[in-house]
Amino acid sequence: MPTWLHQGALTAALACCLLAAPAQAQQDAAVIKRATELRQGPAESSASLGALAADTAVTRTSERKGSWVKVRTAQGATGWVHMFDVGAQAGTAAAGSNTATSGLRSLGGLFGGGSSTTATATVGIRGLSAEDIANAQPNPAAVQQAEKLRVSADQAQRFASAAALRKQNVEPLPEPPRPTAPAGSGEFTPDNQSFN
Amino acid sequence: MRMPPLLSRTALAAATCAALAFAPLHSHAQGGVMNLLNSLGGSGSGGGLLGAVVGGGAQTNQGDDLFSLLSRSVENIDEPKEIEIGRQLAAVLLGSKPLHPDMALQRYVNQLGRWISLQSERPGLPWTFIVLDDTGYNAFAAPGGYVFVTKGLVDRCADEAELAGILAHEITHVTAKHHLHAMRKTAQSGVFTQLVASQIKTNALGNLVASQFLALGRNLYARGLDQTDEFHSDRNGVALAARAGFDPYGLVAVLQQLRTATPDNPMFTLALATHPPAQARLDQLEQAMGKRLDGYAGAAPVTVAQRLGGGSRKK
Repeated sequence: MPTWLHQGALTAALACCLLAAPAQAQQDAAVIKRATELRQGPAESSASLGALAADTAVTRTSERKGSWVKVRTAQGATGWVHMFDVGAQAGTAAAGSNTATSGLRSLGGLFGGGSSTTATATVGIRGLSAEDIANAQPNPAAVQQAEKLRVSADQAQRFASAAALRKQNVEPLPEPPRPTAPAGSGEFTPDNQSFN
Repeated sequence: MRMPPLLSRTALAAATCAALAFAPLHSHAQGGVMNLLNSLGGSGSGGGLLGAVVGGGAQTNQGDDLFSLLSRSVENIDEPKEIEIGRQLAAVLLGSKPLHPDMALQRYVNQLGRWISLQSERPGLPWTFIVLDDTGYNAFAAPGGYVFVTKGLVDRCADEAELAGILAHEITHVTAKHHLHAMRKTAQSGVFTQLVASQIKTNALGNLVASQFLALGRNLYARGLDQTDEFHSDRNGVALAARAGFDPYGLVAVLQQLRTATPDNPMFTLALATHPPAQARLDQLEQAMGKRLDGYAGAAPVTVAQRLGGGSRKK
């Protein structure tokens, strides 16, 4: 058992989580990757509100419709751009957002440099780590319990039709050339084999 | 790079020696050696690790049987064996974090995942989807159809399409047998010797415990898969989610959010350490997708909370 995981801190984190969940309207600093148009609606065919040059700083809202996200320019214009035309602003990731809330929904860490509060409340809280796995003793009883929760193909079909999910024909995507210099992560790698 | 089988046996023999040499260092030295042999040999028949080395031994314990299977080739692992390997690895993951107690959530993720799996290349596997009670952000898969997401990950999905994209990515790891290939590669490499030696430790009773299979499994999840496998799962996952009727940009949205996660944020440490950088994954996806899937992206989003609350799609 990890001793750093204090009960009180955990409760606090969960409370934050509940409070933070509806606050999806976070605003993230982003940058336009290549010259494009700011569109009135989420479609290529939608009217242009003006040109956006490469490297224009914009604020990304949480609104997304398929491949389009709503952004706001520094001049205050709001419109839609294709997701692949928006990049993270350099330095955003480094912006201090490593707080209780930052790891949770709608916040800095995951959703990009939102406004963050102080880091004090959450010292010691963290996710599943490599050590947790290294120290794990197998729990076959829990596997059996999980297996009882399986659903059948029929049940899944019923779920899908209730949710108005319909299967579509989609061609496999082509494989692009691999990146030339794989920027490895693998801090836990005892060797470099994983990137061969 | 290819290891002849002979070499891997030598490596195993070395591991055994290392294990035995290690034993007397412990206070229960004498009992230690016996316990080590017992724990390695399962029911005390001298199988297990030794069995794997000498290629026999009656009644070897199951994990070590699976290990010797993995140390040969993936092709000779039939589906029941694959599922058994997956169950053992699932037990390791569930040994690190428990099942989340919200049964409605477990059921929902099973329905969602099972529906996606029906559009995969292996719809007939006994697919099992599991929400781990953990505030961190991660997802895992194990052979034979076991897929895990943390509660922290579910909470951070802006809508169902994002969760669908993540499940489709993990389902692809299973259908493509990425974990089996990774374990075989490790089992046949020289690194494995050090790995087993480093994992020999005493349990609460002071017994020495080591299992090659356990060592392989832990190593796999702490280290992650090959970069190419991750790119493959991203690409196939996007197409699979679209086949199941979801917005294919769900996974892209997830990766754009991950791109801004700080590497030192403890919630993301493991996820970031075991995957290629999100920017590299996005670049690969952009090249593969272009705008060819934009026509599938129109479905109105529904959040996980809406779905769990019995709500329908936002109009």
